[in-house]
Amino acid sequence: MSENYNLSKLRTRLKKQIEQAVPEARIDYCLTCGLCASGCPASGIEDMDPRKFLRYLVLGQDDIILQTNWIYSCSLCQRCKYACPMGIDVGRLVYEVKGMRPVEDRPKNLQKSCDLQKAGNSTGIPNDDFVWVVGDILEEIHETEPEWSDLKAPMDKVGAKFYLNQNAKEPTVEPEEMVPLWKILHAVGIDWTYSSKWWDGANYCLFTGDPEDWELTTRLQAETVDDLGCTTYINTE
Amino acid sequence: MPKGSVLVVGGGIAGVQAALDLADSGFLVHLVEKTTAIGGRMSQLDKTFPTNDCSACILSPKLVECGRHLNINLLTLSDLVSLEGEPGNFKAVVHQRPRYVDPTKCIACGLCAEKCPKKVDNEYNLGIGKRKAAYLSFPQAVPLKYAIDPDNCIWLKKPGRCGACAKVCPAGAINFDDKAVDHELEVGSVVLALGFSPYDPSELDFTGYGRLANVITTMEFERYLSPSGPCMGHMERPSDGKEPKRVAWLQCVGSRDINRSCHPYCSSVCCMFAIKQAVIAKEHAHGEFAPSIFFMDMRTHGKGFEEYYNRARENGVSFHRARVHSILPADDEGNLRLRYVNEQGGIEFAEFDMVILSTGLEVDKNTIKLAERLNLELDEDNFIKTDVFNPVATSRPGVFVCGAVAEPKDIPQSVMEASAAALEAGSILAPARWSATAVKEYPLERDIHAEPPRIGVFVCHCGINIASVVDVKAVTEYARTLPDVVFSQDNLFTCSQDTIDQMVNTIKEQNLNRVVVSSCSPRTHEPLFQETLRDAGLNKYVFEMANIRDQDSWVHKNEPEAATVKAMDLTRMAVARVRGEEALPYHTVKVDKSAVVIGGGIGGMTAALSLAEQNFPVTLVEKSAQLGGNANNLFRTWQDDKVQPYLAETIAKVNNHPRIDVQLSCEITEAGGSVGKFTTTLSNGQNLQHGVAVVAVGGKAYSPEGDWQFLYGQNDKVHTLLEIDRMLIDESEDFKATGQAVFIHCVGSRIPERPWCSRVCCTHAIDQAVKLKEMNPDMDIFMLYRDIRTYGQRERLYQKARALGIIFVRYDLDHIPAVSEDSGQLIIKTHDPIVDAEITLQPDLLVLATAIEPQATGSSVAKFFKCAIDAHGFLLEAHMKLRPVDFATDGVYLAGLCHYPKPLEETIAQAKAAAARATIVLSLDEVPAESITAQVDPAKCVGCGVCVEVCAYNAVSMDEDKNISLVNADLCKGCGACVAGCRSDALTLQNIGNEQIMAAVEAAFD
Amino acid sequence: MYATLEGLRRFDIPHKFEVVSIISLYAQWIREGRLKVDPAWNTEGLKFSVQDPCKLVRQSLGDPVADDLRFVIKSVVGEENFIDVWPNKSNNYCCGGGGGALQAGFVDNRRQHGKTKFDQLQDTGADVVITPCHNCHTQVKDICDHFGGKWQTTHLWGWIVKALQR
Repeated sequence: MSENYNLSKLRTRLKKQIEQAVPEARIDYCLTCGLCASGCPASGIEDMDPRKFLRYLVLGQDDIILQTNWIYSCSLCQRCKYACPMGIDVGRLVYEVKGMRPVEDRPKNLQKSCDLQKAGNSTGIPNDDFVWVVGDILEEIHETEPEWSDLKAPMDKVGAKFYLNQNAKEPTVEPEEMVPLWKILHAVGIDWTYSSKWWDGANYCLFTGDPEDWELTTRLQAETVDDLGCTTYINTE
Repeated sequence: MPKGSVLVVGGGIAGVQAALDLADSGFLVHLVEKTTAIGGRMSQLDKTFPTNDCSACILSPKLVECGRHLNINLLTLSDLVSLEGEPGNFKAVVHQRPRYVDPTKCIACGLCAEKCPKKVDNEYNLGIGKRKAAYLSFPQAVPLKYAIDPDNCIWLKKPGRCGACAKVCPAGAINFDDKAVDHELEVGSVVLALGFSPYDPSELDFTGYGRLANVITTMEFERYLSPSGPCMGHMERPSDGKEPKRVAWLQCVGSRDINRSCHPYCSSVCCMFAIKQAVIAKEHAHGEFAPSIFFMDMRTHGKGFEEYYNRARENGVSFHRARVHSILPADDEGNLRLRYVNEQGGIEFAEFDMVILSTGLEVDKNTIKLAERLNLELDEDNFIKTDVFNPVATSRPGVFVCGAVAEPKDIPQSVMEASAAALEAGSILAPARWSATAVKEYPLERDIHAEPPRIGVFVCHCGINIASVVDVKAVTEYARTLPDVVFSQDNLFTCSQDTIDQMVNTIKEQNLNRVVVSSCSPRTHEPLFQETLRDAGLNKYVFEMANIRDQDSWVHKNEPEAATVKAMDLTRMAVARVRGEEALPYHTVKVDKSAVVIGGGIGGMTAALSLAEQNFPVTLVEKSAQLGGNANNLFRTWQDDKVQPYLAETIAKVNNHPRIDVQLSCEITEAGGSVGKFTTTLSNGQNLQHGVAVVAVGGKAYSPEGDWQFLYGQNDKVHTLLEIDRMLIDESEDFKATGQAVFIHCVGSRIPERPWCSRVCCTHAIDQAVKLKEMNPDMDIFMLYRDIRTYGQRERLYQKARALGIIFVRYDLDHIPAVSEDSGQLIIKTHDPIVDAEITLQPDLLVLATAIEPQATGSSVAKFFKCAIDAHGFLLEAHMKLRPVDFATDGVYLAGLCHYPKPLEETIAQAKAAAARATIVLSLDEVPAESITAQVDPAKCVGCGVCVEVCAYNAVSMDEDKNISLVNADLCKGCGACVAGCRSDALTLQNIGNEQIMAAVEAAFD
Repeated sequence: MYATLEGLRRFDIPHKFEVVSIISLYAQWIREGRLKVDPAWNTEGLKFSVQDPCKLVRQSLGDPVADDLRFVIKSVVGEENFIDVWPNKSNNYCCGGGGGALQAGFVDNRRQHGKTKFDQLQDTGADVVITPCHNCHTQVKDICDHFGGKWQTTHLWGWIVKALQR
C-alpha cells in the first residue's frame, strides 16, 4: 500500500471542471469493471490506464491527473468507449485534460504542429511552395510518362464538384506519393480541385486540447471549400 | 356470478405452476402455449442451482400432471389475440395454429420425423444441430405429439411434392389440411407468464459471437450439457467436437449496460447460472478441467447461493473480478485468448478452449406487442409493470403476471409469483369455485387379493442419465427372469406422457397386479406412477421404485459393469418387496376450513388477508403487542413507495376483517394433527381446529459485535440501516448538517458465522444514501462494499446513486475497514483496490448495513408442525426450486424473512403464494390421508407404552381397559417410529412391514 | 476524417458540402465499373493486411467503411492474398500513433502502445500492411522497424494504380 489519500473532505475540482465542459462525461457512472483497461493498448503505460484515470478523478487526486504524461499515450481512439457498459468516453476526458496543461508545459512538437496548422498547414510549408510542388511534379509526369500526358491536378478550380484535401507530409517530404491519387481520380474522370490555402488533410489541433484552435482550423477550411463551391469534400485518409 | 375459469398464458414453469394451483383449487384453466409443448426455458436447462437437480427430471412430473389434469385445457401453438371485458367476465380470443398432426391419433412413434427429408435448425437447441420439419421439441414434451413446421415442410410449401410422413405414419395422424382455429373463451381472470428471451449478443462484435465458433452463450452451453441436447450431454466445443478443458464465462453480457445493449438492469440469475455451469461442467469433464468466471460483482443473493459460490471457489472454479473487452482467437485451432486487467490494473493474458457469454434476460418482442394489444403498461425496461405492494397485479384489473416477464428472476421466485398470481386470479372468482370444473373418476379398482402375483417391471434410461452407465437392456432382460415377473420393458423416459399412457394399457393387457419402476427417486416420481396404477384400475400401493439413477448410475459413473449388477440387485429387491404388498384403503380427512397464521408482520398479515378475503376464517397469532413486525421500522421501498401508510392500511384491514381473529402477545404452545385437521393450542389457552397453517415468524437485524461492531453502541454517530429509517420516518432534520457519511455493507453477512447474503441490504443502503443525498446534495457519501447486489431492476438505483456522486469503494475480508475515533470524531481507513491506496475518511455519520438473522421462535414453531429448519435457523421449504412456500409437512406453508432475507415485495408475493397453496387444501371438503399406517397386533402388545412416547403425531394412545395401544389412522403419518420402538414386535406398517423388508434383504443376497 | 467531421459537428460550423472518405469512393467507383482494377499483377501472391484507422472507422464511419476498405484491397491484390487482423474494423486496436503521440515525444511509451498492434500484424504474416492514414502509416512503419517486423508499410493508392486498367 503505497499511498494514503485523506478524503476527510472530498474535493473533486478537476472532475467538476471536466463535467462542466463535457456534459455527457458520466465519470461518476464508472463501475470500475476494468473493461476499458482490458481493451486499451495504452494500459500500464506511466502506471496508468483508463479506469485508473477515472478513479483518480472520482477520488479527487487532481495532481496525478494533471501531471501524468499518459495523456499523450492515450490516442483518443475511443476503443474503451466502444464497449464500456456505461459508454464513458475516456478519450474525450483526456482531451480536456490535455487542454488544461499550460501551453509551455506541453510537448513542444505537438504544440508546434498545431501552431503551424493555424498558420496554414501542419508542416509549415508555404502555400506557394505547395502550389509549385504540385505543378512541378505534374510536369515531370507529363514528361516521363506519356500515357499520363493528360493527367491533371487542378488548383482552386471554382465550381469543381469534389474538393480534395492533401496531407502536408507529401508535398513537404515525398511529393511523388501524391501522384497515384491524381491518376486514380483522372482514370475515374471526376471533376476535382485542390485549394491553395487551408489544404491540409491532417489537423493536429485536435490533439492539443484547445477547442478554439480546432474550431478555427476546421472553420477556415470549411469556408475555403464553400468558397470554391465544391459539394463534396473528399477526405484522403 | 363470475366465471369459474381462468386463462393462463405461457407454458413455462411459472405458467404451469399457476395453472396447477388454480386447477387444484377449483377452477377450469385454459393454458395457452405458443410452441408445440409446455416446459419453457426450464425444460432447456440441464441442471438447476443451487441443488444441482436435473432440470427436466424435476420439471417433468409437473408437466405430465398439467397434461393429464382434468381441469387444464392445454392449447399449444396458440397465442392470445384479444381480451375484452372486465374482471370476472372476460372474453378472450386465442388463435391456435395448425399442428398438421392429429393429437388424438399420434402415438409419438417418431416415424414421421425419421422419414422427413427436410432438415432445419433446431431452435429448441438454440440453433445447435438440426431437427426435421416433422418434429418433437424434446423427449419429455407435453403433449407428446409430433408437429409439422409449416415454414419448412416440403408438402405444405408445395402440396404433392413430398408427403413422406403421411405415408409412414401408422396411425394416420398426419393432416396436411389442418386449419388454424380461433377459440373464444369466457374466463374470469387472466395470468400472464410470458417468460423472457435470452439476449442475443450478435450485435456485440467485440465478443466475437457468431464469428468465433467457440464463443457461445450460457443457454447454448446448457443444451450442450443436457442429455436431451445435441451432444447427448457430452461436453463438446462447437469447432471440433473436442471436450474443452479450459472454459471462461464472461458475465453481464447484455446486462448492466447502457451503451450497447441498452439493458441497464441486472439479469439476476446469470451469476449463479455461470457458477452452476462451471461446477456441472467440471463433473461432466473427463480429467482436468479449469473453469474461470470473469465478473463485476458476484451476485449470489439467494438462499444457499453464497455457500454454493464458496464451495465452487474451494473446488477449483477461478473467479476474476474483471470485465474483458474483447475475445480474440489464440490460434487456428479454435482456442481463444483474453487480455484483462486485475483489480490493481496489472495486465494479464489467459487462453481458453471455449468462452461462454452469460447473456442476460430480456422481454421478447412479441410480449411487447401482446402488452399493447391487452392495454398493459410496461416499465422503462419493457417488463410488464407491477406494483410493489401488489407484485403480481398488472395495470389492468383482473390480469395478473408472474415470472421473468415482470423482472428478471430465478425459478423459485417465478414459482412463488406463479402461486401468488394464482391466488389473485382465483380470489376474485372465489364464489365460482368448482363451478366450471369436472371431477376425476378412476376406473373401478380390481380386486387382486386372490390373484397370484403378476409383476411388471419398467426400466428407465432417463435419457443418458442411467443408460450411459447402466446396461438398461440387460437389466430389463434380467428382470424378466425374476419370480412372478411376467413383463418387463425399457423406456427412454418412463415419465414421459406416451410411456405413462402405454403403461396403463400394458397393465391392463398383461393383467399385471404389481408394478416396479426402476428409474429415479420416489420423492419426485412416485405420485406420478401411483396415479398411473389407479388409471389402470390398480390400487396405488402395489407399487415399488428402484432408484437406479441417484443411487447407482450417478454415483458409479466409472464402474459401468458393477453399476449394472447393482441395478439388477436393486430391481430384484424391489420385486421382492412388491410381491408381498397388498392393496390398502384410501383414507381421507375432513378439512377444517380455517387457517392459523403465525406472525403478524407484513408476510403474516398478507397471508391472513388473502385467505380471509376468500371467506376462510383465520386466526392471526403475533407474539408481540402490535402488528407490523419489521415493517414498523421501514421508511420506503427502493421504488420510493412509503411503507408506513401501506402498513397502517394493512393493519386496519386486518383488524377490521370479520374473518380474521387477531391474537396479540400470544404464542403457540402446542400443535398436533395433520393437513386438513390440525389442533393448535395458544398461550392464552385457546384451542384451535384448523386445516392449514402459515408460518411467517419473520427475521431480525443482526446486532453488530466483535470485528463488525465498528463502534456501534459506543459512538453516537454510528447507526444501523433500520435506525436511519426510523429517523427518516420521523422526518429528522439531523442530516442537513452531515458533511460526510459512510455506509459499510455486509456487516455480519457473508462470513463463516453467517455465510449467507442478506439480499436486501445493498439496495436498502444505497436507497438510503440516495435519500440523504437528495436531502443534502453537498453531503459526501462513501459506500464500502464487497459486491454490490442490486439485482434485477434495482441496478437502476445503483446507477442513480453513482450518478449522484455517491462513491463506492470495494473492500474484502483481508481489508476490512478500520473504524476508530479521536475525541468523538470517527476516523475510517479503508483500501481502494483500483488505485491501490489507503483512504482516510472522517464521517459525521456511519451507517452499518447489518445482516438479517432468523428469529429463534422459528425453530420452535417448526418443531410444533414437524417442519425442517436449515443449518442457520431459517425454515426449510420442501424443495428449494419448485416448492418454495411448502414445507415437507403437508398443510403448512411459509413466507417472509423466516424463509430467507428478502425485500417487502418478495415477502408479499411469497405470502400470497403461501395463501394460494393453503387455498388448495381449504377449497376441498376432504384431503387424502396416509394409507400406510401402523397397526397393532393385540395378541403381541404388552402395553408398555413406548409407542405412545415416541409418536411425534399423537396418533398412538393407550386403551387403559385392555392395556394395549391404539393407533388413530387419521393422525398416523406412517413414519414407523413406533414400529421400531416396539419391543414385542406388536406394531407393523402395512406394506413396509417385516415381511416386505426381510424379503428385500434376502433378495439382496441372492 | 474525424477532425473534420467531428469539428464541423461539435462547433456547429456552417458548411454546404458533404464529407466523404476516399475509401468509400474507391469502393463505389469499383462497384460502378468506373475504376477498373485487376489483381492479375500479383503473380507472386504478395500477402496484404490492413490497419483500420480509428479516426476513420470506429470514430467516424464505422464498419461500412472498413468493409469498403477490404473490398478495395481484395479487388486490387486478389481476394486470396488478403489476411485480416483480429480484432478488426470498428473494434480494431489503435496503432498508437494517433492523438498526437507521434509529435509528442515519449517514444518508448508510443512504442509500448504500438506493441499490441505490432504483435497483431506480425501474426498475420503479411508482406504488406496497408495504412490508409498518415499517422498510422508512420507509426506502423516505426514499430515494424523497431520490433523487427518484415512487412512493408504502404498507402493504398499505389496498389490501385498498379492494378489499374485503362
